[in-house]
Amino acid sequence: MTTAPTSDIDLFADDVLVDPYPTYAALRELGAVVHLPRNDVYALTRYGAIRDALADWESFSSATIGFNPMVNEALAGTSLRSDPPEHTTLRATLSENLTPRALRGLGVQIEAKADALVAELAARGGFEAIDDLARAFPLEIVADLIGFTGEVKENMMRWGQAAMEVIGPMNQRTQENFPIAGELYGWCSTVTAADLAEGSIGRGIFDAETRGAIPAGSAGHIIHQYLGAGVDTTIASIGNIVALFGRHPEQFELVRQDASLIPAAFNEVLRYWAPVHAWGRRATRDVEVDGVVIPEGAQVAILFGSGNRDPRHYETADVFDVTRNPVDHLSFGYGPHGCAGQGLARLEAHAVIRALATHVGSFELGDEVREPSNITRSIHSLPVRAVVPA
Amino acid sequence: MTAILKEDTMRIELDRPRCEGHGLCEEAAPDLMHLDDEGELVIDVSEVDGADVARAQAAVRVCPVAALRLLAADAADAEAAAE
Repeated sequence: MTTAPTSDIDLFADDVLVDPYPTYAALRELGAVVHLPRNDVYALTRYGAIRDALADWESFSSATIGFNPMVNEALAGTSLRSDPPEHTTLRATLSENLTPRALRGLGVQIEAKADALVAELAARGGFEAIDDLARAFPLEIVADLIGFTGEVKENMMRWGQAAMEVIGPMNQRTQENFPIAGELYGWCSTVTAADLAEGSIGRGIFDAETRGAIPAGSAGHIIHQYLGAGVDTTIASIGNIVALFGRHPEQFELVRQDASLIPAAFNEVLRYWAPVHAWGRRATRDVEVDGVVIPEGAQVAILFGSGNRDPRHYETADVFDVTRNPVDHLSFGYGPHGCAGQGLARLEAHAVIRALATHVGSFELGDEVREPSNITRSIHSLPVRAVVPA
Repeated sequence: MTAILKEDTMRIELDRPRCEGHGLCEEAAPDLMHLDDEGELVIDVSEVDGADVARAQAAVRVCPVAALRLLAADAADAEAAAE
């Protein structure tokens, strides 16, 4: 056993956040574990090490999923930053309304909404992929799901972005976003059943609290996690769908010709561009990974996007290929903390891909704009032009 | 021959509290398991051998919450006895 190789890169530097893939490749070559003194973390870079760590909650605790103490403090008592056995109950309460069996009735509605929206955008001949589609669609779905309207809906994108940003280290981005993330937290701690539309899942969560089916005070927490975790990442993946189909028209054509490729195409979009850059864990003991030791108490940074491009696991890992169907990609995490909202994310993304394949024959992309962001990697704006309706 | 077959037999173990019914395992191995009308996972064939082992491995691999395991049948028996 040896000590981990070291690199002086800063995982949260602007240029790394905008395009982390060259950095991921360099870190992967150094080792499955790389010590980054500038961030005071041990980064997990290779597929196997990441998947094993995600499964091994006993060695890799979620007590420090965020990269600053304030956010870990704020997330106390959530399933996100707890370990079994506490985690098991919190997770069950959180995921109860998000499992495919709970969402079964929603699929048809989601498909119809995506179809109508994309049909309208395609008929215009051009649109803004992020504002008009990637943001508009999930915000509408989550607003309906939780049952809120009006001012809250207007704020949801800012709040969702901020909730992810503050998971980063205490840099300027994190500091600027704490007050905004606080607005979301504040709303969630004061919202009542009467504020939410009758028949919505949000209202149902409050009713469950009233019935005593879930612990008193937990309804607000659950809604906070739905919004904090589910908005920004879903926006990122829908934007990525348009961008990657635009860059690879031959891949889009394959999906247009064969709708059975839709789930595989979404898996590949998630693998190719992971919506989440880095996620924290803490080593509960000296853990040996690939012959090197992560010392007890060390902060770990899981680089999902790096594992997804590991050539040790995926052949031609840097090629975007909708026929690959990488069902074991790491973008939803894995194991006890695997993304609780992945069923909903699939419903939304599959609906968007199906609608694009139905209504859009071909299109061109304008210039893609990205802004550095600590945790969520997403496109800020992306014009779509020369849409030929199908 | 019986002994050899026994050694090659694997058992699919489900951690039921952990299962959230994502259903990806059913897509990977529809002959071995399915979600019932309530969305609960039913393992139809838990002891597998031959070509089914690869299908079972694929189902275990794809479970997003690591609720499935595939063990050598005798190891699974020993584990059950230990509990």
